[in-house]
Amino acid sequence: MKLLFATELTRYARSTYTLTKYVEVGRALGHEVAIFGEQSAEMPSLPCSLDVDKFDFVIFVIHVPSDFPDLPYLARLLDQMPKDRRVIIDCLGRYNETIRVEHDFNHLEKLDGHQGWEWVEGFQAVAGRILQPTLKPLRNDVESFLFHGFDPAAIARPYATATEAAHAWAGNGTSKPYAMAYVGNNWQRWTQVRKLLEEIEPLNGSLGRIALVGWDWARRPEWAAQLGLEAVNVDPVLFGRLGVETREAIPFDKVNKFVGQARFSPVFHRPLFQKLGLVTNRTFETFCADTVPILMLPGDTVREIYGESALPLAPGEQLCDRLGDMMRHPEVYWEAVLKTRVHLAEHHSYERRFEELVKILNA
Amino acid sequence: MKILFFLDKRDNAGSIQAVANYVSAGEEMGITVAVYGGPDENFPRIRFSTDVDAFDYVVFILESRLEWLSGLRLPRVLSSVPRGRRAVLDADGTYNRRVSIEGYDRNHASENDRARWLAYFHELAGKIMQPTFMPIERNVLPVPFYGYDPNARIAPEASPPKRFDIAHVGHNWWRGREVSQNLLPAFEQIRSSVGSIAFVGLWWDSMPPWAAQLGLEAAFCLDHERFRRLKIQVEPPVAFTQVISTMSQARVNIMTQRPVLRHFKLLTSKYFEIFCADTIPLVVLDPDEAEQVYGRAGRELTLNGTMAEKLLDALDRPGTYRDLVAEVRHHLTEHHSYRKRLCHLVEALES
Repeated sequence: MKLLFATELTRYARSTYTLTKYVEVGRALGHEVAIFGEQSAEMPSLPCSLDVDKFDFVIFVIHVPSDFPDLPYLARLLDQMPKDRRVIIDCLGRYNETIRVEHDFNHLEKLDGHQGWEWVEGFQAVAGRILQPTLKPLRNDVESFLFHGFDPAAIARPYATATEAAHAWAGNGTSKPYAMAYVGNNWQRWTQVRKLLEEIEPLNGSLGRIALVGWDWARRPEWAAQLGLEAVNVDPVLFGRLGVETREAIPFDKVNKFVGQARFSPVFHRPLFQKLGLVTNRTFETFCADTVPILMLPGDTVREIYGESALPLAPGEQLCDRLGDMMRHPEVYWEAVLKTRVHLAEHHSYERRFEELVKILNA
Repeated sequence: MKILFFLDKRDNAGSIQAVANYVSAGEEMGITVAVYGGPDENFPRIRFSTDVDAFDYVVFILESRLEWLSGLRLPRVLSSVPRGRRAVLDADGTYNRRVSIEGYDRNHASENDRARWLAYFHELAGKIMQPTFMPIERNVLPVPFYGYDPNARIAPEASPPKRFDIAHVGHNWWRGREVSQNLLPAFEQIRSSVGSIAFVGLWWDSMPPWAAQLGLEAAFCLDHERFRRLKIQVEPPVAFTQVISTMSQARVNIMTQRPVLRHFKLLTSKYFEIFCADTIPLVVLDPDEAEQVYGRAGRELTLNGTMAEKLLDALDRPGTYRDLVAEVRHHLTEHHSYRKRLCHLVEALES
């Protein structure tokens, strides 16, 4: 099968990492995968094409309006690929009624100029089928397809046993520069990040360095203040108290390595994603890094996506105690990490995703 | 007949005033005119519709930006309305070959920029229209588009109190050079004889923070210190529903146009709405061009070469100027009403 993905490629956000995996896995499985557009000099490993009629399907991967191509490229896609062979993967749950959760939302006209109905009507005009990366889409004309996946080959340090992992992880106390690192842009995550930092504040001094890596962690940007958006808040005083380091965003292909420099790395789903059950590439990718993922997610989500073995990694309201226990008994938690990796490899590998996608497209 | 406009919805700029008048004229003439979109209380007098299939023609109004024509917004209309029933009104002359006016204003920053715009024109529509009597490019239809609404006129007895002797209502978007080279020297000559002067609109007090990032400093360039020295008041922009009443707060209003629009002889809403206000309009236009739009009396209302004298004269002899303005209004009512404009638009769409 020949699949042409249409999206705006960026090295610092959205689904670029996932698409690199579809290219790799597609090739290995005997398919052809390309990204619609001129060849990107920034990402030479991602093959690009404008020859729409050479492909069987066009798959739009949509987070923001600019993921749809501009004219004349958009017209080429619409003219040369029949609608029943155009599919949208709706990564942010745009194809729903307008939903607000805390400060989070799936539509906001003042941010991108589009009202809620435009997302629904726009999607219906573009594609014959709409997929969402959730197990439970709200609309009955949406199909479930998790899209993102787990690549066992990307595991930075594959350990044979939890004992080996715990030993390497503990090192001599200086093996990892950070106690905790979160890589992700400051967009709709502040409520959870703040809660995490406040909870671990009693450990201050014994835990180690903490890093937040991504856009807009150093300060609330001017545009957010102008638009009255709370989604990009920060608290420099809290950062100062905890010695939190903020760093600029790093490209998608450097995330795994950076996260591995920390003993712990939290996994967050923004409030909207929690409500809709949406997963992201970070849902899976964190388990490739040489770190202990802390699943700051509802228990049901942990069970459904990661399996029962991952539950020790989900501290719920006991974060401080759990971190302490993790440091005292790392083997227990590395056992959970290794078992979860096996679960992810079995249920959420990119090979499996690709096959699911082909099945959906052929249905 | 049903016509649906697609435009970048801005309540204090662009063609929204004209579109509101098309909606009203259409109601009088049995023609349904609407703007693509959901109901929006920020845009009174505008009828909105999302039912693209219910319209005979779609008219895209393109001004200075393309970003609002997102790939999310366009597929619905591109797939529902055949290209032959889609037209573009090119308000800023971006369809024309690249022109630079004295190295300052231009319709395109580069040939690449023009190519990007041409791709949009080609995909969006089979017909290109410009608000002018004389298009430069051969395949452009002349559709004056902007017009005069006598019902919008504010009579002296209904006019708000006069706060200013002289006002200029409009944004500082490529107008700084005209203002600096011609208007400010005129103000300097007559400042002691004139009361308050106001510029109403964006970017007269400072350059927007994003100007440098976009390489657009020249578009907002202005001698702000000279503004302060001349005690020129700068007031924030007003919504399209408030433009005429704001103009009516000044005894004299000045209309300037950005150089590239003057070069292409493109009309704008301002040409006409300034004559709806209870004020004496003085326009920075060539007399021949003024006569073409406003009739013979329009020549006498141009600020051309003798700005200082003309401004003082208008303030000193308002009665004489009011007679000229009345004559122009009569001409505009006869020749440039929105009823006529709508007929012209329908004719162009059906041609």
